[in-house]
Amino acid sequence: MPVRPPIDPVPHAHLGDEDLGDEGGRRLWRSPEELAAAPEVSRHLEAEFPGSVEPGVIDRREWLRLMGASLMLTDLTACGSHRAITGAPLLSHPRGRPEAAPGEPVVFATSLELDGYGRGALVRTQDGRPVKIEGNPLHPATLGATDPFLQAEVLSLYDPGRSRTPHENGAPRDWQTLLRFLRPLRNELVVNEGRGLSVLLPPIASPTLNRLVELARQLFPHARWHLFSPMVDDQHRGGMERAFGRPVDLVYDLTQADMIVTLGGDLFTVEPGHIRHAADWQARRRAADRPLPRLFAVETTPSLAGARADERLALRPRDVEAIARALAASLGLLGGAVSDPHPAAARLARGLAAAGERGLVAAGREQPPSVHALAAAINHRLGAFGRTVRAIEPVRPPVDTAASIMALAEAIAADEVSHLLILGGNPAYDAPADLDLPALIRRVRLSLHVGYAFDETASACRWHVPRCHALEAFGDLRAFDGTLGLCQPAVARLAPSLSLEETLGLLAGQNLDGRGLVAATWREAWGEAFESRFARALEDGVVADTAFPPVEVALRPDWDSGPRDPAADASYDVVFAPDSSVWDGRFANNGWLQELPRPLTKQVWGNAALIAPETANSLGVRSGDVVEIVSEGRAIAAPVWVLPGHAPGAVTLPLGYGRTNTGGLGEGVGFDAYRLRTASAPWRTRAEIRKIDRREALVTTQLHHAMQGRALVRAVAPGEALPKEEPQPSLYPDWPYEGHAWGMVIDLDACIGCNACVVACQAENNVAVVGPEEVARGREMHWLRVDRYYAGAPDAPSTYFQPVPCMHCETAPCEVVCPVNATVHSAEGLNDMVYNRCVGTRTCSNNCPYKVRRFNFIDYRATAFAPDDDVLNPQVTVRSRGVMEKCTYCVQRISAARIAARIEDRPIRDGEIVTACEQACPTQAIVFGDVNDPDSRVSRLKREPRHYALLPELNTRPRTTYLARIERKDERPPTPSGEAGR
Amino acid sequence: MTSLPSTFTSPVAEAPLRPRYGPVWRLALAICALLLILLALTLGASLALGVGLWGINIPFVWGFDLVNYAWWIGIANGASLFAAILVLRRHSLRTAVNRFAEAVALAAAVCAGLFPIVHLGRPWLFYWVFPYPATSEVWPQFRSTLTWDFWGILSHIVVIGLLWYVGLIPDFATLRDRARRPAAQRAYGLLALGWRNSVRHWSHHQAAYRLVAILVLPLLTMMQSIVALEFATTLVPAWHDTRLPLHFVATGLAQGLAMVLLVAMLLRWGLALERHIDDRDVDLLGRLVVASALASAFLSLEEIAAALLAEPSQWAATVNRITGPRRGAYMAAVVLGVLVPQLLWLRAARRSVIAATFVGASVSLGVWFDRFSIVVGGAERDYLPSLWRSYAPTLVESGLFIGTVGLFGALLLIFARFVPAVSLFESRHDEQEERT
Repeated sequence: MPVRPPIDPVPHAHLGDEDLGDEGGRRLWRSPEELAAAPEVSRHLEAEFPGSVEPGVIDRREWLRLMGASLMLTDLTACGSHRAITGAPLLSHPRGRPEAAPGEPVVFATSLELDGYGRGALVRTQDGRPVKIEGNPLHPATLGATDPFLQAEVLSLYDPGRSRTPHENGAPRDWQTLLRFLRPLRNELVVNEGRGLSVLLPPIASPTLNRLVELARQLFPHARWHLFSPMVDDQHRGGMERAFGRPVDLVYDLTQADMIVTLGGDLFTVEPGHIRHAADWQARRRAADRPLPRLFAVETTPSLAGARADERLALRPRDVEAIARALAASLGLLGGAVSDPHPAAARLARGLAAAGERGLVAAGREQPPSVHALAAAINHRLGAFGRTVRAIEPVRPPVDTAASIMALAEAIAADEVSHLLILGGNPAYDAPADLDLPALIRRVRLSLHVGYAFDETASACRWHVPRCHALEAFGDLRAFDGTLGLCQPAVARLAPSLSLEETLGLLAGQNLDGRGLVAATWREAWGEAFESRFARALEDGVVADTAFPPVEVALRPDWDSGPRDPAADASYDVVFAPDSSVWDGRFANNGWLQELPRPLTKQVWGNAALIAPETANSLGVRSGDVVEIVSEGRAIAAPVWVLPGHAPGAVTLPLGYGRTNTGGLGEGVGFDAYRLRTASAPWRTRAEIRKIDRREALVTTQLHHAMQGRALVRAVAPGEALPKEEPQPSLYPDWPYEGHAWGMVIDLDACIGCNACVVACQAENNVAVVGPEEVARGREMHWLRVDRYYAGAPDAPSTYFQPVPCMHCETAPCEVVCPVNATVHSAEGLNDMVYNRCVGTRTCSNNCPYKVRRFNFIDYRATAFAPDDDVLNPQVTVRSRGVMEKCTYCVQRISAARIAARIEDRPIRDGEIVTACEQACPTQAIVFGDVNDPDSRVSRLKREPRHYALLPELNTRPRTTYLARIERKDERPPTPSGEAGR
Repeated sequence: MTSLPSTFTSPVAEAPLRPRYGPVWRLALAICALLLILLALTLGASLALGVGLWGINIPFVWGFDLVNYAWWIGIANGASLFAAILVLRRHSLRTAVNRFAEAVALAAAVCAGLFPIVHLGRPWLFYWVFPYPATSEVWPQFRSTLTWDFWGILSHIVVIGLLWYVGLIPDFATLRDRARRPAAQRAYGLLALGWRNSVRHWSHHQAAYRLVAILVLPLLTMMQSIVALEFATTLVPAWHDTRLPLHFVATGLAQGLAMVLLVAMLLRWGLALERHIDDRDVDLLGRLVVASALASAFLSLEEIAAALLAEPSQWAATVNRITGPRRGAYMAAVVLGVLVPQLLWLRAARRSVIAATFVGASVSLGVWFDRFSIVVGGAERDYLPSLWRSYAPTLVESGLFIGTVGLFGALLLIFARFVPAVSLFESRHDEQEERT
């Protein structure tokens, strides 16, 4: 069929009106045909769609595709107007009633990415703006819980540092200008089939993204594709290839484990699926029919799994492999014994052998491939595959990312790259320092970066295009076990921006319709059932039964690469670690996370080089002294932090700080450890450390670390009961609570100290961010803090966590001292704070023995650290200057449940009210409920023999009480009999 | 009142009526004015931007505000207690120093009264402590020591003001009669409340004066105790102790006496009032100061003994107060407040202007350190070690404190300028008695 000249909206749409004018003024056209005949349009069409101008060589399918691409470009022009975007329907599927009344929260299920994997989330929006994120109970990676990152994503959405317009060479440009520039460019690339084009993007487990990458590859067969993320997973993959001859991902099932040995890493905060690991671990501990499992941590940097371990061994990185080899040898691998094994190895091996298939060895991602291979071999030998661990096909693209980024650097250096497209990520900041990527990027004739903020990479690139936040875009992500989750926007885009899918779609000539791109992927996969399945998947956020099936693995005969002699030089081992607050640096602008006390150091707003007390002695430094760390000719200066339990002779450098371009709060916070990181040694290296004569003020929220012989965190042996506290006399008669009486129990055996509850509370209750200076003065505002205590020797301490919210004391000492009755008891036993009655004498805080009250010393909403108003939860009052505030037991949630129950004319069900902290907790350490109801979960827990109240001698009779931690007697630290268990 | 030409009364009465007042007074007032500017700045900043300008935090929600409040209250209490006892006992010393004591008490009470208001998070709502029938139907919490404190400081200022003013009425009449300028006549006339020197007036005056003086007595122990109870009723281990009111009353008395000694010495020297404040008076004051310092010494020992018998947490907190990071404040309190006044055992020291001034300043400073040691050092070791922190004042707080010193000084200077520094009628009374 003869092809009609296309009725193409492209010219008038994205050329813009001025393009239709000649020197003399506006040229009018009578028909699209006439317009299309214009020479510039023909030229454009020829360049844009080479096949289309030649009649007869195009089939219908191709034609539709091209039409779609045209329409897509039309869409893109609409990006120029905020209104055009925000006026568009969201097309998302909310949970529950779609006809929800105004002001009622609407919940969207989606998946949020960390480390390339999806984590299922439920986003609560109010009046069209997301205000809170919870875990998606249907999603295998979260099971309804969260970690701090997931909670804080909602604040990142409103980050004022996000870029709002495209930039060219650092100057803002409008979208029209960008498109005028891009269109010929793409034509050029299409014509030469992508020669000179390099694309760099992070490895992401997104089927749609990877489908679009494939499409683009076909369109640009000569283009080079590079995958890089600073959280390199190459060593794990290398280990799997060595052990099994193929790249596989390992999925642990800790509910099945009786004995776990971790070799580095952190199962509870870093490894993929960490929320799930924590939940499974606690579920296993709670299994009443089986003896308590054992967790043994071998690590350099104290981790939260190590803090919770029954036993932990602090070893320099170079010594970890030796113990892994000894373990393997004791289990009959490696053909016999190794020389000079670590004394603990035999004991561990016995434990693992006894556990058999219920044993598990997990290697952290910073371990070398040989350790990963050893761990895999041990698991294989134990028969753990199929029980505590399963191998699945790699969920993310199995690419050697270090080689990939090195190839890019070489290509640029060899002038083979004329066009560089950087999709997401921030490689100019976090790529290996030896590549000097920022300088290389600047050498590329044409570079374009799609990113959230005008960051280090954006400033190195010629063009920067705003990327939309995950809460603004459609997409799909697989979880660590392969389970598919869909992403959908919970809010209309705050500013015109593109998602990675849309950018790739644009490149691949697809429609600029994020939903359409995702739908196309699954329409193909699901066929007939697509419509219903897709709608269902959007509503659930998860597609059931899509976890990858286990694959059979067999140990290669030559899996063992043989022992390596640990070099016996005097230098220090350096370990790089993702940070518990900013991860790889992407959350640097997030005030909630920056101000979140790091679980072990309780440091905020910065990082520090973590060293052991022994190392500090030999270097002659104490916390806050600055040292120079020199590795392979590169040097950084960093303040040290003496961290009990750190392996001596090593230093841990948390990544993600020292950002120079964030557009927001994160600039200049901490030091940049990436400057020492090389492509060949992404996780571990050696360095010389030298004290320099300078100190830096490190900000922390906790200055004292021992319990001083006070029975604050209590521990019992398995099955042991704490002595019953006799009720003390009081001058006042007991107050009868006729209806509900709310109470809370916090299980210290379950708490891993991950801080998810702290951020959840902050997000739910509009808790202010106050900034480093204010925290240094002791004015952080967290309603819920996690106290961390050490017991035992500083080189091998026991670590205890204790979340402390308001205790809602029955005989609350704060209430009687307030001269204006601003804090009073409610009829349900809550200790209420009446903000608008408070005059700010602060005497209530004086009289609170738990010190859970927080005061608005200044107007924290007026500081530079105050987040955008849109993130505020409209159900919670924003406090003004000069008033006291504290945990309310999420009284707004109690009210909501009461209203719902009254409408339905039924009593409030147990478990219906879930406080924000309880909801976030991966290990269900926090339980809230009605203590007047003897059958409620909280009442049952309060009858446990492990139950105790904090500071019972004061007779405050707190409603928030604790369950003692369970510790085996033989594994308690030798010295602190009075420390932990008094 | 027919003013007898009296050698005793004239120089004292002439002083307020003089049109010019000498360079020293003006220099002193200029210094105080500078401090007042500092006070205005720091006060304004604190009110406008909030107490976040101070160094307070969680758990140190109180810092300089309460330290200085307690300290000024101590001065006010000590001085007014002293004045009231003199009035009631008709002690001969009263003629000489009563008026100073009352003025010191009033000025200190005004300085103290600033702090409870400015230290509030929302100071413009301070009146919510007052039990008025508000539409919200919310009443103050009558069990709160802070409510008691509101009544305490209010009654304190009213009663001290009355004591001072009632004592002044006959003297205002004298000034009225002697004033030459009509404006001064009118002003003093108003203040004299139509005093005509009748016997009936005198009878009522004496009754009123003694009545107010009697009111002072319970009020003062109450006031000082209430301040102490603000700490003692909390659960903070180092504060939660019944001995605290006694401690505050006793050390406050020493401090007030020392302050009266200091001011008396300075006035005697500055206004050449040796005849009115004679060596015997100064000697007597010195003995009282040393006696009260002994009481403080006893209380310091008793404090350690009490802590030994107390709960472990209270013992730990007390040990930390004495040996911890804030041991300097504790040591200063003991040395300046207890040891230095022992100098006054020496008769020569009691008679020396320099020694008396030194001891007066020392005791006063010592009590300041005592309050600092209690408020700050005492809160350093609470129940949960995770919140063990400390507190250091900021420039704004320090400026506020120095500013109130300026206010105190300015009030005293103005007092010395415009009202008789020594009671005229009492002096005449003494004069008459001596003649007969």
